[in-house]
Amino acid sequence: MNQNQHQQASDGRHDDDAALSDFLASLMDYTPTIPDELVEHYLAKSGFQCPDVRLIRLVAVATQKFVSEVASDALQQCKARQAAVVKDKRDKQQKDKRLILTMEDLSRSLRELSIVFY
Amino acid sequence: MSDGGRESERGPEKPAPQRKPGGEEFARAFVKVAVAQICESEGFQSFQQSALETLSDVTVRYIRDIGKTAHVYANQAGRTESNVFDIIQGLEDLGLAQGFLGASDIEHCLASSGTVRELAQYVGESEQIPFAYSLPQFPVVKDRKLTPSFLQIGEEPPGEHIPAWLPAFPDPGTYAQSSTPNDRTIELKMAKIEQENQRRKPERSLLNVNQWLASNELEGPSSVDAGDAAKAKQAAAKAKQAAESNPFLAAPLQYGEKEVSSVVLPAKTKLSNDSTTGNPISKYHGMDNHVSVLEAFAPNIEAMKSGLRDSEEGHKKVLLNTRPTVQFKLGSGKKYLGSMLDSSPQNKSFEVNESWFGRLNEKDDKKRRAEQILKESMGNLQELDHL
Repeated sequence: MNQNQHQQASDGRHDDDAALSDFLASLMDYTPTIPDELVEHYLAKSGFQCPDVRLIRLVAVATQKFVSEVASDALQQCKARQAAVVKDKRDKQQKDKRLILTMEDLSRSLRELSIVFY
Repeated sequence: MSDGGRESERGPEKPAPQRKPGGEEFARAFVKVAVAQICESEGFQSFQQSALETLSDVTVRYIRDIGKTAHVYANQAGRTESNVFDIIQGLEDLGLAQGFLGASDIEHCLASSGTVRELAQYVGESEQIPFAYSLPQFPVVKDRKLTPSFLQIGEEPPGEHIPAWLPAFPDPGTYAQSSTPNDRTIELKMAKIEQENQRRKPERSLLNVNQWLASNELEGPSSVDAGDAAKAKQAAAKAKQAAESNPFLAAPLQYGEKEVSSVVLPAKTKLSNDSTTGNPISKYHGMDNHVSVLEAFAPNIEAMKSGLRDSEEGHKKVLLNTRPTVQFKLGSGKKYLGSMLDSSPQNKSFEVNESWFGRLNEKDDKKRRAEQILKESMGNLQELDHL
């Protein structure tokens, strides 16, 4: 019984490893928006050494996810503000359709991630 | 994407204007493009410039933080090269502020970390946005041309104490005193100065004043010569300090080698005044120790500056040298007197003022007048500074 449990646990770990290696393999198909050379340059600046391209891709994808989260947060703020303004004036809805990334929205969404700038 | 979306992308061809382009600017421009593309895919149509720069700055820091944490974890495990688990740990550390699934688990396998799962989810859901430009491998490592050793040249090192495998000494012609005629060296220096003028506005304005004065044919040749000599001296000073490819090439001019206009030596206290008021010319040339040059050309520089100022007011003023036939008109006496009383800290100047008003047309007063005008210009400069 003990052996059985142990077997299951190691199988589970095996699955996790398999999942991870599958994920890394799938990364090679996905081209992140941030190019590899750029990521490699900044990683090298902080002392990160790795010959594996998949890891560079991993970092690139992670950064892309981070930026898109910040951007979507800021977008929500922007839309919320536009909706609030529309309550006052109906004209704004036709004019201000452009969604602009402003410092205010950006600072609010970054604040959620405890990134503060002055 | 429609045209409306396209115009929000900013090309990286223009780095920030009037800044020396370095490797950092190059990478930053690309990061801005990438960030802009990501934001655009989220639905933004345009950006505030400062917002885009801030976000790209945050992105760069994020990448560097991941690298740093991964590196730290690898070192903790006794490795120099990071592996995927180091990165996952780094991501977890950075994601703690935001929170991810499984963050509160004390012992969990890194392979099944919540961050990885979220990433896998993101990869599965989002569409690929290829980067708009193709990047070369950077930073480009330049091949260093090493100085060949004594052995490689086939030379024998001068002296027994120098081993032959050390790099050879440079050609003695590069550092010994050059015997080339002064004109050529001055021409070379003039060429260097012309290049640097584009970045140095005060120098250019002085140059303009020189030319203006030359065109007006008032003390034209002498002022141009003084200007040239000034430039040559500055070039000599600069060439000394310039970190060019071969700084040994520029041989400095020795005192007395070139004929320059004789110097009106101002009072010593005025000299200290000059160096402490932060004369912008001296600042730019970084000539902290070269007081002799400043001292030598302070009269010219001050007179040129006062000439520049006065040209705005519409008065005519001529570069003051010790050469004869100096004509000058003064502005409203009131103004100068006021400024002189305000700013000149020395009692001596008061006496000179009075004597100046008393004896207007005497020839032996020319020197004192010269000093006076210099003091005025210094005073006006200080006024301007106060403004």
